[in-house]
Amino acid sequence: MNELFLPLAVGCAVALVSALLVVLARRPVHAVVALLAHSLALAALYLILGADMVAMGQVLIYSGAIVVLFLFVIALLPQGGSEADLGFGRVLGGLVVGCALLAGLAAWLALAGPLPPAAPNAGGNVVEVGRSLFGRLIVPFELTAPLLLVAIVGAVAIWRRQERVS
Amino acid sequence: MTSEVLVLATSAVLLAIGATGALIRRNPIAMLMSVELMLNAANLLLVLGARVRGNVDGQAAALIVLVLAAAEAVIGLGVALALFRDRDRVDVDEPAEVHG
Repeated sequence: MNELFLPLAVGCAVALVSALLVVLARRPVHAVVALLAHSLALAALYLILGADMVAMGQVLIYSGAIVVLFLFVIALLPQGGSEADLGFGRVLGGLVVGCALLAGLAAWLALAGPLPPAAPNAGGNVVEVGRSLFGRLIVPFELTAPLLLVAIVGAVAIWRRQERVS
Repeated sequence: MTSEVLVLATSAVLLAIGATGALIRRNPIAMLMSVELMLNAANLLLVLGARVRGNVDGQAAALIVLVLAAAEAVIGLGVALALFRDRDRVDVDEPAEVHG
């Protein structure tokens, strides 16, 4: 799959730069726009890697639903959700933990050795993914139904409690 | 450097960026977005694993993680909105009712 190296490199670069912008942007609206670019770059990466179905889900759920949800909440928050100054210690601590995590992952990957060669015919069409979802992964797939129900009930309950207080 | 290693490294760096962002930001919205970055890094790794192993189970798992991310975003944003709607500053360290 090395003929795919250049498009993959471009996609990875866009994903990394937009992820940095998400973390560094001072205004939440800018961060949300960067998150949109990030999710679209990841959808492109999934397409290049042959995961059509996941790419479609990424565009629909992430770029469509989640990013818009973030925009709505920012519009509802006071001052557009702009935040106070980050303390120096907070930034330093976060950077130390992030670098330690990166070093740990790099060491682990280096110790794990080279990847196995890519399997031939690694297709990812919708039929195969559906067969996997409704076959071997049927239990986690069905558990997403109560998960979504709990999320809906939880969101409504949080809001009801807040209404009673105010 | 092969394509697989490139994507693997990207996933690792994305996870580190997301973890750093979740730790340093005071804004709950920015923290939630950083958590989404970490979930995306895990998803990228799942799709890469499906590709390398020639097994679509990884892609199906990535779809389930997408649903999980949506549910997490709804709950997190709901809590953020309930906590900060009536405050003039948005700072996760401020509300006394979450100090326990």
